[in-house]
Amino acid sequence: MNILNRIQGILSPLGHDLSFAGAYLIETLIALIFAVTVVAGMVYFFRKYMARVQNRIGPNRVGKFGVLQVMADGLKLMQKESIFPDGRDDLPYKIAPIIVFLGLILAFIIVPYSNLYWFGSLTVTHSNVGIILIFAILAIMPIGEIFAGISSNNKYAMLGALRAVAKDISFEVPMMLSILAIIMIASVNTSQPLNLQNIVSVQNIPFGILEPIGLFIFFISMIARASYSPFDMGESDSELVTGDTTEYGGLRFGLFYMGLFGTIFLGSMLVSVLYLGGGSGPYESSIGFIWFLIKTIVLVVISLTVWLSMPRVRIDKFVNFGWKILLPLSFINLVITGIIILGGIA
Amino acid sequence: METTKPVNKYVELNMGPQHPSTHGVLRLKLLLDGETVKRVEPVIGYLHRNAEKICELDYYCDSLLYFDRMDYVNSLSMEAGFLEAAEKLLGIEPPERAKWIRTIMAELSRIASHLVWAGAYGLDLGMLTPFFYVFDLREQLLNIFTEASGSRLLTNYMSIGGVYQDFNDKIIYMIKDFINSFPKKLEEVFNLFVKNDIFISRTKGIGILEKDVAISYGVTGPMLRGSGVDYDVRKAEPYLMYDKVNFDIPVSYAKDCLGRFLVRYEEMRQSVKIVKQAINKIPDGPYFNPKAKKSLMIRLRGEGEAYGRTESSKGEFGVYLVGDGTVKPYRVRVRSPTFKNLSVLRELGKDVMIADLVAISGSIDLVFGEVDR
Repeated sequence: MNILNRIQGILSPLGHDLSFAGAYLIETLIALIFAVTVVAGMVYFFRKYMARVQNRIGPNRVGKFGVLQVMADGLKLMQKESIFPDGRDDLPYKIAPIIVFLGLILAFIIVPYSNLYWFGSLTVTHSNVGIILIFAILAIMPIGEIFAGISSNNKYAMLGALRAVAKDISFEVPMMLSILAIIMIASVNTSQPLNLQNIVSVQNIPFGILEPIGLFIFFISMIARASYSPFDMGESDSELVTGDTTEYGGLRFGLFYMGLFGTIFLGSMLVSVLYLGGGSGPYESSIGFIWFLIKTIVLVVISLTVWLSMPRVRIDKFVNFGWKILLPLSFINLVITGIIILGGIA
Repeated sequence: METTKPVNKYVELNMGPQHPSTHGVLRLKLLLDGETVKRVEPVIGYLHRNAEKICELDYYCDSLLYFDRMDYVNSLSMEAGFLEAAEKLLGIEPPERAKWIRTIMAELSRIASHLVWAGAYGLDLGMLTPFFYVFDLREQLLNIFTEASGSRLLTNYMSIGGVYQDFNDKIIYMIKDFINSFPKKLEEVFNLFVKNDIFISRTKGIGILEKDVAISYGVTGPMLRGSGVDYDVRKAEPYLMYDKVNFDIPVSYAKDCLGRFLVRYEEMRQSVKIVKQAINKIPDGPYFNPKAKKSLMIRLRGEGEAYGRTESSKGEFGVYLVGDGTVKPYRVRVRSPTFKNLSVLRELGKDVMIADLVAISGSIDLVFGEVDR
């Protein structure tokens, strides 16, 4: 029994179709609110954590312990004047931040959040091909980055977009191959291995233990997807000003910024779903969501620590790393997965 | 109609003067072939304040202010450099205690400068965290400077004939406290760099500066020592009290950015060594030559010419003064080490990637107050 059915039950006087449509809408809204809250929380947590790492205090003026700092910054960004560069390609320039943020938000409605007491699961779409859907949605986000880069009429932005493209194509193949290994190993115990809920439920042994190489590749891919140091080639702070987002300001910049932090959280959620068993743990049926969040937050902390302690990799070295190390490793991972399946360990 | 327009394969890119990694107001005109830099042309002058000319319009003692503002992260070495020339010209010898104090302060200032450089170099390569650690360390130094001179950055501490005020027990205690705790903390911070494989891969073998190129461009300081030349004014032509202390000149034969990084790291440790010896050797006595007491200072007259050279944290800092017998210098000229070091960027920045160019220009240790003056 999850939120969807409860809402549908409340709306049932409207008739079957209407009530389901209403329930989906309302639950999507709830998921969106969750996503935005998470992103805002991530920004606050990042700033506080970064301050701790760097011997600083961090935001502490707006609200108790600076918790309202994010809102204050958001309001400031909204009030800012929109400055458009001359000679821009208008439509791509304007929709680029929306694409990035939309791709992020859409992914949040598919992630299999586990149950939480009476509320049930927050997941809106229980698709049988959820894993394909989520990576299709993730593949939308780079389009936003590229649009931003090529439409700004700025050489820095263009170089940033070129770097982002080079980065994207070098990690996405290994990433999808490591996903393939997940699907292979999940298909042993379930007839629908593309369903994210099934992938979570068949992880008696977390896949991260069975496939440590896959976990490694996927985690690196998620760092590169979210595009933060050491793999923030699209942005390349100190070299290309801010890369593809150079010409953006105000709320549009804010959307990119939220996209970045949302993707860190999303990537951590995906790692915990695919490799660490998602919401599985003791008392899974009632507090699975808590387990899921704990795993995710631990991964977020690891990600942020990596971010704060690493310099940027040079783009050609990352491309080499993607094609010459990650790709062979992901094939080896496939072979190992096959051996595990044949050996009957899974 | 067949008009073939020549297709320009290269992209011109203006890096700076407002750019996060050009350390102030350097402008680099780049010619890019994709990510590769085909040509780099540094354009300077955005922070030109005419300091030399202003010095010519001022009394000798007032000129010191403008030297503070040249290399503003290393102001005490700048003061020592000016006084080296000015005291030769004016014929005023500071007492021994003042010389020791100047030696200590110049070395502490060198540490402060190298710390800022290390933090900024981390930022250039995309590392945020070490920046805050080194500024934390530097804060202790700035407290020492504040205690001595009343000012953090632009100290105006030394003056013709001595120093502004004597070391008291508190300053000596602070310095001792600092040099005892510093090497360990420094190692901790530098492990963040040198134990990081990405940092090594970004700096090792990048920006190779050959010995003869470096010498022909007049490169000095850690840049030159990073190319394997054992040259340091402190040893070659000792000034202040450097011939009375025992220290080594670190030299790297790697010729790359990593070599320069390690040279600076070792220099900081050697500076600590110098300060440690000097703080125990300070003799009692006056800290100021009464010939240049404050009420008479603006009446000091210089005749002839004098050149003083010192080793600032960036390289050989030379000051050339010509006096015509009046209370103001006739000509002031500064040999700025960073200006010479920057000129070699044209050689280093050929056929490298943009990311490497940032790493190379960061390793020069640019401070634009001094380049443009």
